[in-house]
Amino acid sequence: MHIEIDEIAKTFGNTTALHPVSLPIPSGALVALLGPSGSGKTTLLRILGGLEFPTSGRVLFDGQDATGLSVQDRRAGFVFQSYALFRHMTVFENIAYGLRARPRRIRPPAAEIERRVLKLLELIQLPQIAERYPNQLSGGQRQRVALARALAIEPRMLLLDEPFGALDARVRKELRHGLREIHDTTGLTTVFVTHDQDEAMELADLVVVMSMGRIEQVGRPQDIRARPATPFVREFIAA
Amino acid sequence: MALAMLRASRSPMPGFGLGMGITLTMLSLIVILPIGALLAKGISYGPAEVWATINTPRVWAALHLSFRLALLAAAFNLVFGTLLAWVLARYDFPGRRIVDAVVDLPFALPTAVAGIALTALYAPNGTFGSIAKSMGGKIAYTEWGILIALIFVGLPFVTRTVQPVIAEIEKEVEEASATLGAGRLYTLRRVILPMLAPAALTGFALSLARAVGEYGSVIFIAGNLPMKTEIAPLLIVIKLEEFDYGGAAAIGIAMLLISFSMLLVINLIQIWSRRRIGHV
Amino acid sequence: MYDSTLSEAYALPPERWAQKWRPATDESRLTRVVLIAIALTGLGLLVLAPLAVVFAEALAKGGVAAMASLAQPEALSAIKLTLLVAAISVPVNAIFGIAAAWVITKFDFRGKAFLITLIDLPFSVSPVVAGLALVLLFGTNSLLGGWLVASGHPVIFALPGIVLASVFVTFPFVARELIPVMIEQGRTEEEAALTLGASGWRVFLTVTLPNIRWALLYGVLLCNARAMGEFGAVAVVSGKIRGQTATMPITIEMLYNEYLSVAAFSMAGVLALLALLTLLLKTVLEWRHADQLAATRRH
Repeated sequence: MHIEIDEIAKTFGNTTALHPVSLPIPSGALVALLGPSGSGKTTLLRILGGLEFPTSGRVLFDGQDATGLSVQDRRAGFVFQSYALFRHMTVFENIAYGLRARPRRIRPPAAEIERRVLKLLELIQLPQIAERYPNQLSGGQRQRVALARALAIEPRMLLLDEPFGALDARVRKELRHGLREIHDTTGLTTVFVTHDQDEAMELADLVVVMSMGRIEQVGRPQDIRARPATPFVREFIAA
Repeated sequence: MALAMLRASRSPMPGFGLGMGITLTMLSLIVILPIGALLAKGISYGPAEVWATINTPRVWAALHLSFRLALLAAAFNLVFGTLLAWVLARYDFPGRRIVDAVVDLPFALPTAVAGIALTALYAPNGTFGSIAKSMGGKIAYTEWGILIALIFVGLPFVTRTVQPVIAEIEKEVEEASATLGAGRLYTLRRVILPMLAPAALTGFALSLARAVGEYGSVIFIAGNLPMKTEIAPLLIVIKLEEFDYGGAAAIGIAMLLISFSMLLVINLIQIWSRRRIGHV
Repeated sequence: MYDSTLSEAYALPPERWAQKWRPATDESRLTRVVLIAIALTGLGLLVLAPLAVVFAEALAKGGVAAMASLAQPEALSAIKLTLLVAAISVPVNAIFGIAAAWVITKFDFRGKAFLITLIDLPFSVSPVVAGLALVLLFGTNSLLGGWLVASGHPVIFALPGIVLASVFVTFPFVARELIPVMIEQGRTEEEAALTLGASGWRVFLTVTLPNIRWALLYGVLLCNARAMGEFGAVAVVSGKIRGQTATMPITIEMLYNEYLSVAAFSMAGVLALLALLTLLLKTVLEWRHADQLAATRRH
């Protein structure tokens, strides 16, 4: 799905989180929103996911205005920084949640739900953990379960907030490849937020560097590295 | 037991002997010896006699009434207390802090005061009682009156155990549910309520234990008709007034046993759910 | 591997995308208003109405009549007895609570969980059963009670019995407030003080006590409210002797049964004022020392 961010701005009380920003995200791209904390990257991601409503501006999905579309109808697969797994449910129940929550009219039958959940568990390469609870999983396993849960709803796009933020360095490297593979397999338009420039540069097709609620530069990783557009970008990627 | 405790510790911290001495002396004098005397009385009275005392229609009726109404009151408090906790933890409205303080009033108000106040309200000539009377109903001096008193004394327990848990639910968990397509009601049913369940169950158990043993607030409003509105604790008082110590002990032991088995079941449910979900 | 056939057929058509948005974690305004209304109505009917009726009934024949009923010798003796009982049982309970919390939180020993269960036991015992147990242990027909009466120190139908009953029903209050706070604070501060050469008492008075003072006050407050208001256990052990063993709650019952409504509700009003004062102090403590009491509220 092609996503168009059109002059989106967001203020919380007196603080401006986003100045009007515009950004086209081509269908099927893997995009990194890169910036320090307070740069507005998470706010932008949450607006895409329907968790915040912009103060002004529009979000377009395949050319259609989706600004007012509710979170539930938006079908954005969202992976939270803390993963936000339901700790009273098994891994299986977590992944099946989105399908079971559908109105009866469009809910797949139980056998079909099971088939899809098991398939997703294979996709994240954890077929053996279906009956475990989140507190029995490692950090890396939790992240992949959160990803599978988001994929289960047949999302239009995948949105990830600091997906590797809570992991130690070794696991982080492993899972980067995991995300790349899942993106390539599913072909979903994917946007992830990170403050780690290595992560953005290594993983993304397109990197969006943000600072103080503004987009500083948009470009392919090698272009940003070769030609930083502003002093901020030069300093940030040198750090 | 005491010896095992006294041996166990090897710590540079002082005061173990003194602290443990005070603790065990008080515990023995106030709790263990009296409860032991109660059990000893039951034993010396003889199991057959204990059973004969309990196994009379009047005692059965009282035990049945006490535990049935206590369960109903605790169930009401489970629902209303959870709702109250939600409103206090999540919504902002004028006077919220005062309302929050008022929730604890049943803890602070002596039960005899609550008893005569509720009776004055719900008696046929009282404010609410007269409304019921005009509609052909009666509240005080019936089971309804007892139920209201038991609801009153147990009201704060569920709210006070559930409220901090609601405050600690991460926003992301509810948001995650919404991004997966779940409506608010589905999120409430499948995500929020299961997370509150262990705490709500604790509150339910406390409310139940309180209601089963409640005496002060009930005797004024109950009417105390044998076989109809006579609660189990009142029977103990009556037996004592007749100097039938064995009979009183028999009913006391029966109440203890039923209470403990109920609390045991609730605790087991809780241990089981905590083990599954992990620490909440 | 991944089934990318999106069920677009089920999706909301774009012409209906506009303006359905709402924060993911909010209920609709109507739901909120209805829930708040239910909560306030329920609380009003169940809790505030009884409180209001106490004062209305006490003042039914005017403030003078209410005050006069409290000036009766029986009423004065009840007030004195209740204050005396609280003055003995609250400090006793505070000392027990501190001692129990100290050994439970500063030391490791076998049987700790069992000890905590025993301390909590009085919460799940009916006050009437508690009174009964005390009568069976200390009453005239028991070995111990017979000896105590013969030696001129009766417990049952006398002050010691009332105090024992009050301590029983308030037994876990202080310990329960202190234990979570002291667990949270750990042992390091005390250990540091010990390595600096402080004596045990000095460590307790200068390190531990300042750390737990608000939680202690909180527990004492709750303990006091319950001790002054206890009815069931005291009714059983006191013998309800007018002017001697009738506490304020017992006197309320006697006056009420004699249809002396103004007198009964006036005394009830005094206890209700005390309850309101307790709530006020408790709320102030919670607001000003939330950090220290937070541990308590979490457990």
